[in-house]
Amino acid sequence: MDKVRSELLQGTLDLLILRTLAGAALHGWDIAKRIAVVSNDRLSLKQGSLYPALHRLEDRGWIEAEWGISKAGRSAKFYRLSRRGRKELQVEKAHWLSFATAVQNVLEME
Amino acid sequence: MFSETFRWLRTRCSRLFCRGKAEAALDAELQFHLDQLIAQFRGEGMTEREARLAAQREFGNAVVYREEIRDTWRPPELADIWRTLRFASRSLQRSPGFALLAIITLALGIGGNTMMFSAFTSILKKPLPYPGEERLERFNRATPQNATGDFSPADFRDLQRAAASYGEVAAYTPSDCSLSEPARPAEIVSGIRCTANLLGLLGVPPQLGRNFLPQEDLPGNDRVVIISDRCWQKRFGGKDDIIGRTLRVDGQPHEIVGVLPASFNDWRHLGWVDFFRPFGFDKDKMSDRRDTILRVIGRRSALLPPAQADAFIANFGAHLAKDFPEVNAGSSWRAVSLASTTHGRSLPAMLKMCIGLSAFVLLIACSNLANFLLARTITRSREFAVRSALGASRGQLLRPLVAETFLLALAGVALAMLVARWGADWLSYRSIGENGEPVTLVFSWSVFAWALGASFITAIAFGMAPALFALRLNVNEALKSGGRGMTGDRGHRRFRQFLIVGQFAMAMVLLAGAAVFIRGLDELNHRRAGWQSAHLITGTIVLPAASFPDDQQVRNFHSLMLERLQAMPEVASASVSSFTPFFDWPDIRKYIMQGRALPKPGHEPAAAVNTVSSRYFETVGTRILTGRSFDERDTATSPKVIVVSQATARGLFGNESALGKRLAQTGSDPQEWAEIIGIAADVKSVLPAAPQVTFQVYEPTEQHPVRYNEIMVRTANSAPARVVNDIRNVITGLDPDLPVHDLQLADSAIDRANYQIAILRDILTLFAMLGLGLASVGIYGVIARTMAQRTNEFAIRFALGARARDISRLVLASGVKLALLGSAIGLIGALGVTHILAAWNSGMHLNSTSTVLGTTVFLVGVALVACWLPARRAGRINPIDALRAE
Repeated sequence: MDKVRSELLQGTLDLLILRTLAGAALHGWDIAKRIAVVSNDRLSLKQGSLYPALHRLEDRGWIEAEWGISKAGRSAKFYRLSRRGRKELQVEKAHWLSFATAVQNVLEME
Repeated sequence: MFSETFRWLRTRCSRLFCRGKAEAALDAELQFHLDQLIAQFRGEGMTEREARLAAQREFGNAVVYREEIRDTWRPPELADIWRTLRFASRSLQRSPGFALLAIITLALGIGGNTMMFSAFTSILKKPLPYPGEERLERFNRATPQNATGDFSPADFRDLQRAAASYGEVAAYTPSDCSLSEPARPAEIVSGIRCTANLLGLLGVPPQLGRNFLPQEDLPGNDRVVIISDRCWQKRFGGKDDIIGRTLRVDGQPHEIVGVLPASFNDWRHLGWVDFFRPFGFDKDKMSDRRDTILRVIGRRSALLPPAQADAFIANFGAHLAKDFPEVNAGSSWRAVSLASTTHGRSLPAMLKMCIGLSAFVLLIACSNLANFLLARTITRSREFAVRSALGASRGQLLRPLVAETFLLALAGVALAMLVARWGADWLSYRSIGENGEPVTLVFSWSVFAWALGASFITAIAFGMAPALFALRLNVNEALKSGGRGMTGDRGHRRFRQFLIVGQFAMAMVLLAGAAVFIRGLDELNHRRAGWQSAHLITGTIVLPAASFPDDQQVRNFHSLMLERLQAMPEVASASVSSFTPFFDWPDIRKYIMQGRALPKPGHEPAAAVNTVSSRYFETVGTRILTGRSFDERDTATSPKVIVVSQATARGLFGNESALGKRLAQTGSDPQEWAEIIGIAADVKSVLPAAPQVTFQVYEPTEQHPVRYNEIMVRTANSAPARVVNDIRNVITGLDPDLPVHDLQLADSAIDRANYQIAILRDILTLFAMLGLGLASVGIYGVIARTMAQRTNEFAIRFALGARARDISRLVLASGVKLALLGSAIGLIGALGVTHILAAWNSGMHLNSTSTVLGTTVFLVGVALVACWLPARRAGRINPIDALRAE
């Protein structure tokens, strides 16, 4: 299966990160991995967009960061969703779904 | 929720302010990612080296990510402002000369102004150290001779008895005393004698010991003293056992009962008084209605409206004037707030004038700044034109200019605070008076706010105005002219010429004001009208009543002391008198003439009286015009005699000879007629305020012995310094309890007496020099720049046959025209300032037209030099080089 073209990713990047962090606190590497696995490698996050996005989200107060120990026993920066981020995830998710439905409806019109 | 917000804030702040830590964290985070990549590639079977390279390839350019991530750390607006400021600072660094000049200009202008404001607030706005100060009043007894006269003990006693409906009243009189302790030379201490309730009325309890008790007002109980904190610290080492200690004050043992708090000594009201003693007036003194020696202060009852209090005091004075016309006719009483009397009549006005003049300096500085910025903006007009052609909005064009001005203002404020600080220190140091205590100028936040506001407003306003001007430029024109020969359009030129004219007008006012004042002060300090100062030494001794209880003892001491002084080999002649010839004589009496109709009560001629010993006229060098001086014929028992000044003789007797005529003081009963035996030259005071009474009368000490004595000693030649010591030794040899105060040359006494005016002179000179310097720099800058921008034009003129002289003259004329116009306008202002100064210092000669004209010539001369430098350069243009540079 082809990789999704990268520009499509731009608008949804924040949403993907927020959704990925909804379950557990993860570091940057794991976030990218998790997204890649779940999307069957169709969505792959480059570090060049991942880390600026993480810092931007942290700056907005949607996610929080804390240094912890990775599985391999190394110190790593873990991100988790803040209360505001959780709310934001609901909004963005609803927004995306309604947008996607709308696009689908248009594409599938008779 | 709260803790979440807090954590978020902390992260943001640490990213903004602890860059190092945030960077390190970022490095660690990215390194972790890279290491994970390497581990992954290793897992896929690559060698360590291959995995590392592959990971780096996969990872990409970390520098770019970092930059992107850092951008998320700063709020976008802030990042923008930061960038703009950095850009502005780099642009200023490219022209350091301009930046430095602008900053110094701002700093001097604002610093001078701030200094004046801090002086103003510390002197006029600071409340007196008395609680409930707003209800404290000073009473004045106005007479035709003296608007702020004092009260006689009997009048005060009457007021005290009736004062219950007003509140509380107290009185005091300055009374320096001699202090002697075993094994220390006697010295004079500044002191006052007061009613026992004075300190209580002012609301200042002693910090140690107790206040005066009511019964200590009575004679016999009055040998107690309260000392100032300053005296306690300096003289008695601040020891706690001071209370109860006994001192010899005026030759009598006194007990120290209290020490006042340090806050009490405020030079604006009582001055640096070290000893407070109760009056202890006996019955006779208390019923004296003639001797107006008491200063009266009241604390108005809180229930009494001020208007009613004023009416009460005025009424009371009117009653006394009616009841005792022989002493009080023509006098009226007035209550004024104590705060309004704390400084001389003219001090607030002087300070305001100084602030006004410092504002002139600030204006000159600002117009210089505007000129610099305008010139800079015009030379950059091509840059602006290009940017605006590329689509920059007006706001985007303005932003760097605003940022530059902001930076200039910031640096200007920082430096201005330093300048103000130094200025205030200098002023403090300069104002150290006779007591060695500087006037403390406190730093106040309002002054700081003023400086901050003033500099930003001036910098932004004067920085923006030229920017807006420059932005009106026509893009097409600016680009076509290729940035060459940009002198700005007509509007710009007009504006800059207007600024130069304004600067010169203000510099003219400053300079002329200062010049006139300096000349006036010099004249004042060197005025020796009616006496001669060369080789004259003066000093003060006060003979305490305790050691010299009756007149005969005073007489004996006088003759013994004078005899010893005259016997000194260096001394030509010596005398005692109640006043020196060079200051005002505050002892003013009213006279009636024998054989003339009595004038209406209160309208008798008044004269300042000096009581002098027989060789006084010879000693101070006052000529006796006709008749004779006092001599051994005039004794305590011989007929009373006086010497009058020439103005008195003329004023009273016109063309008739005054010799042999007889005068008597009003209020004496029976009338004591004194014969005029001589007419002396008029003596003029060296103080800046003209005396209110111009008649002068001399009485012989033999007939009217006084305890307060000015010693005058004239040496044969210029006296060696040790003569001063010898004189002191002669006097202490006669009485070890007797200190000699201020023994020094008459010339130094005069300089010291006028030190406040000298401060004013220094401030004026400072401002004038600043204004002149700034204005010269301004005109030089403008002319030099126009010259540079007209190089092509001059080259063409040269090519067409103009000579160097013509070109120089052209440049010179353009500058001098502006300076002349400015000076002409400034002349009007200068005359105004001179008039104001003359009105405040009526004793000074300040109406000097020649000085003002001289200043004009000087100012135009300075402008000429400032323009001549660029003009000379213009005359040396090589036309071929200049045109080839096209």
